[in-house]
Amino acid sequence: MFDYGAIYPEIILILFAVAIPALHLLLKSSRALAGISLVGVAASAGMVVYYLLNGYPGMIGSENSPLIVFDALAAVFSLVFLSVAFVAILASARYVENDRHLAEYFTLILMATAGMMLVASAQDLLTIYIGIEIASMATYALVAFRKRDKRGSEAAVKYVIIGGLSSALSLYGISLLFGVTGTTSLVGINEALAAQGIDLATILSVGLLIAGFGFKIAIAPFHMWAPDVYEGAPTPVSAFLAAASKKMGLVVMFKVFIVGLIAIKADWDIVVGVVAILTMTIGNVIALSQTNIKRMLAYSSIAQAGYMLMALPLATVVGDFAITAGIFHIITHAFMKSGAFIVVAALAYVAIGESVADYKGLAKRAPFMAFSMAIFMFALAGIPPLSGFMSKVVLLSASVQAAEITQWMLWLGVALVLNSALSLYYYVRVIKYMYVEKGESTAKIKVPVSLTVAIAVCMVATIVLGLFFDPVLDLCSEAARTLFPAMA
Amino acid sequence: MAFAEYAWLIPIFPLIAFVVIGFLGNRLFKKWEGGAPVAILMTAISLVLALAVAFEALTTGDGTPFVQSLEWLVVQSGEFNFTFNMGIYIDNLSALMLIVVAFISTLVVIYSLGYMHEEGEKKRRYYAVISLFISVMLGLVLASNFLQMFIFWELVGLCSYLLIGFWNTRPSAASAAKKAFLVTRIGDIMFMIGLFVFFIGFQGNLDYTHIFNNVDAFVGGDALLTFGTLMIFGGAIGKSAQFPLHDWLPDAMEGPTTVSALIHAATMVKAGVYLVARSYPVMVETPDTMLFIAFIGGFTALFAATMALNNTNIKRVLAYSTVSQLGYMFLALGAGGYIYYYHADFNVGYAAGTFHLMNHAFFKALLFLSAGAVIHAAHTEDMRLMGGLSKKLKITSLVMLIGCISIAGIPPFSGFWSKDLVLEAAFEGIQYNGLFILLYAFGLITAFLTAFYMFRLWFLTFAGKPRDQHTYDHAHEAPKVMWVPLAILAVLAFGSGFAFLMGFESVLVPGLEGFVPHEASAVDLLVAVFTNILTYASILAAVLGIGLAYLVYYKGTINPAVFTATPARKAMSNVLLARYGFTKAYDWFGLKVIYGISKVVDFIDRRIIDGLINGISAGLIRAGGFLRRGQTGFVQSYAAVIVAGVSLIVILLFYVGGVI
Repeated sequence: MFDYGAIYPEIILILFAVAIPALHLLLKSSRALAGISLVGVAASAGMVVYYLLNGYPGMIGSENSPLIVFDALAAVFSLVFLSVAFVAILASARYVENDRHLAEYFTLILMATAGMMLVASAQDLLTIYIGIEIASMATYALVAFRKRDKRGSEAAVKYVIIGGLSSALSLYGISLLFGVTGTTSLVGINEALAAQGIDLATILSVGLLIAGFGFKIAIAPFHMWAPDVYEGAPTPVSAFLAAASKKMGLVVMFKVFIVGLIAIKADWDIVVGVVAILTMTIGNVIALSQTNIKRMLAYSSIAQAGYMLMALPLATVVGDFAITAGIFHIITHAFMKSGAFIVVAALAYVAIGESVADYKGLAKRAPFMAFSMAIFMFALAGIPPLSGFMSKVVLLSASVQAAEITQWMLWLGVALVLNSALSLYYYVRVIKYMYVEKGESTAKIKVPVSLTVAIAVCMVATIVLGLFFDPVLDLCSEAARTLFPAMA
Repeated sequence: MAFAEYAWLIPIFPLIAFVVIGFLGNRLFKKWEGGAPVAILMTAISLVLALAVAFEALTTGDGTPFVQSLEWLVVQSGEFNFTFNMGIYIDNLSALMLIVVAFISTLVVIYSLGYMHEEGEKKRRYYAVISLFISVMLGLVLASNFLQMFIFWELVGLCSYLLIGFWNTRPSAASAAKKAFLVTRIGDIMFMIGLFVFFIGFQGNLDYTHIFNNVDAFVGGDALLTFGTLMIFGGAIGKSAQFPLHDWLPDAMEGPTTVSALIHAATMVKAGVYLVARSYPVMVETPDTMLFIAFIGGFTALFAATMALNNTNIKRVLAYSTVSQLGYMFLALGAGGYIYYYHADFNVGYAAGTFHLMNHAFFKALLFLSAGAVIHAAHTEDMRLMGGLSKKLKITSLVMLIGCISIAGIPPFSGFWSKDLVLEAAFEGIQYNGLFILLYAFGLITAFLTAFYMFRLWFLTFAGKPRDQHTYDHAHEAPKVMWVPLAILAVLAFGSGFAFLMGFESVLVPGLEGFVPHEASAVDLLVAVFTNILTYASILAAVLGIGLAYLVYYKGTINPAVFTATPARKAMSNVLLARYGFTKAYDWFGLKVIYGISKVVDFIDRRIIDGLINGISAGLIRAGGFLRRGQTGFVQSYAAVIVAGVSLIVILLFYVGGVI
């Protein structure tokens, strides 16, 4: 079976991505190009929503070894990636306006998004790998976009090198798994493993896959590139990496481990649990001593990735409920984290530094910026009634449920709670600087409208998802169930 | 029931005044007497509604209360379900309270227009808080369950704190406010414990209707019920300033006189009496509690009266007299309940307590507001600097005289009727417990002392020659807006006692089984009162008190110095002035005992708990700094960490998989 419908959303994006450099010859304005990119994103999202409402298209591949299936999971993640892309493009319009290569910038974002969406609907290790590589190549270039900026170039080089290493590790893992099971289809792998059990090569490949995909998610100890890259990259790109690229890694983990490796869950659940706890703790502890906001946000992303990864071991016990929680946290985090990064970007645009101390007295100078940043910080820390609180609550309840069957899983919940308490310190510190400390300057700050809109979108989503979460949770639940065909 | 449907609006109107004055229109109210017109209008509306509701309840009701409630908090946990309601409960008792509270509040707010005129910008705060005060007191009266009552009870405490400390720049006012708040808080805690007992004993339902109809279904036995009612009365001891928590009330005189009038006549202290009267159907099941209430009441009546004997501050004398009169009310309520327990038939105790509550509200409001007019005129509260003011303050001196006669208990003024009933109730108790002989004696002596110190007050203030020429020269009659409320109150202080002849006894019954008042015409009642020897005893006590005051402070036949002539008498007088050392005892208790405990708790909190937390957080931040150093910025080391990480994970996987 080969239904192009399964990749229409990606095709739309790629068409726009290809058209934009050509249009740049006609249109010089960055706003116009950003507008066209936004139209592309919206069109693709429209396609996804169409599928959501009117049923999903057919698959690419055969029933026994599907390659690409556009299902609820793919739809939800595509929407996450598209929204983040939308916000990032909005925020970038002014950022790149004087750059000769601004058309390529938008092309790259659209390309990266298409790659991520491909991953979300991929059902085979190879299609997953191709999707990851499409997204990676584009993001490497995006990080390096400011060629003359030393920090940016250094970050890009690190990103490429570590990215290459990780790519190699995951490819090695994939080939080992292929060697053991004779297939790259996730369903097929699971069936084979269920039949033949586990051996050394399988275990080795699981380790390599955790490392390879873990690089994208930036889980400890594969996180070290993230702060450097987030700090050096153009800030909208950092937002894109933290809020979208990271989520791609997670959807891969969910797919590979739940669909492909569930047969040997007893062999990896505790290890992934340990990695999750390690990740959240390391992220939060290092974030405590950061003074650069972008680095602080980077470490906070690492910690948040730990929370999301928690869903994976929990899913081995409570099934789709845990994945629902994970996806919900992924969605809420996408908005609060990209919102926070874009506030930083907006302030950088008007020459406010990236150090926490530069935010002194911000509440007086830019009340909306300070207020929205406060909302994002509170949401990230998990203060009710914001979205970050709700999604953590769902994760926690998944952990408590799982603990009734597998006791050690309570520790995941305990770690979540303790880490949340710990993280409050550095989140609230930003608010303290903005609201309590007096700044040297009291001049009002005027932020470009496009950035304000991008921030407002994220803020509204952050607040609304905390209050009216039911429809979104239902959608997450529907997406999660696709990973558990027996239950669907 | 037509008006009762809207009874919930009664506390709402003053609340609106509070919100409007407190939060809106700063500029507007600078011109408008700080929002006084709004406060007056809203309390007046609430008064009209309260009168309508009360009239309806008193005339048309058949004794069954009108109840309306909303579910507020529903808890269902399988074994133990409970629901808290918010509602209104109107019976004859709350109707009476509604009249008293709304009426006196309205007069006080009108009077404030003159009394607080010179306060400038502070007026806005005054009118805002006093509106809230009135609102929450009305809410307390209308509450339909004990929890709701407790909420308003606490709010009343808060408002009294804010108003007693109205002149917050005066240290004495600030500390008096704190004292009032903290001392009544002891009572509040007891009230709360009582609530817990009720909550458990009555299976999680604190509605009056539920509790009053299911007193026998109390779970936990008589001892627990006695404990619970004792604790509830503990709340009343604090709020109504009974021994030994009485000492905050004299200090509370630091607030504006209007506030004192409100606290003493209508709100705050009356809440305690109302609480006991309200919980009567439960209280009467516990004779020990009733005896205790009667004893505390009788003792406090005498105890407080003695302290009023030689005080020279006009407001403090009135404050002690309030404590003493409240004692009377508790004496009557306690005696009535005690008698009922052994003899489930009609007795006057309950009617006497509530009747005295009403009469006292009128004459005490009159006395305080008159004292306010005197202070307004003389600019001092010290009676030693007054004297001869009746020439200058004709109206004030006249209405205050009416108040004094009334509180002294000379027929046919209102105080006579209710005091007589109180003493009758105590006397009746003698049949059931010998202790009542003592309590009756206390009551009778108090009647004598009350008459004495009230007339001492009047003579010192208005009669004789001016003792301070300067004060005298500057004194002037109060403006109309002040003396008109006084005149209205004077009429009531004289006449509210006639309610007795109109059948007060049969209207205000506690709703107990077998408690049926005798049908009696006004003539029957008059005959009953004036053929009773006790009546003449109490009249005699009052006349003797007035006579002694007349001889000492008007005629000068007896020199006041004889009271302090010998060292023993001097020492006694000093003890009274030092309030039996209670002020010192409170301070000692607060400073040594409570502060000592606080220091220990503070040490544990700051050094041990905070120290632990700070230690952990400092450690974590240091750990962050340390881990951060691992982030070298060299991509080679990152790659090395990744390789090490993969190896570790694989080893862990092997370990879990049981391979190694």
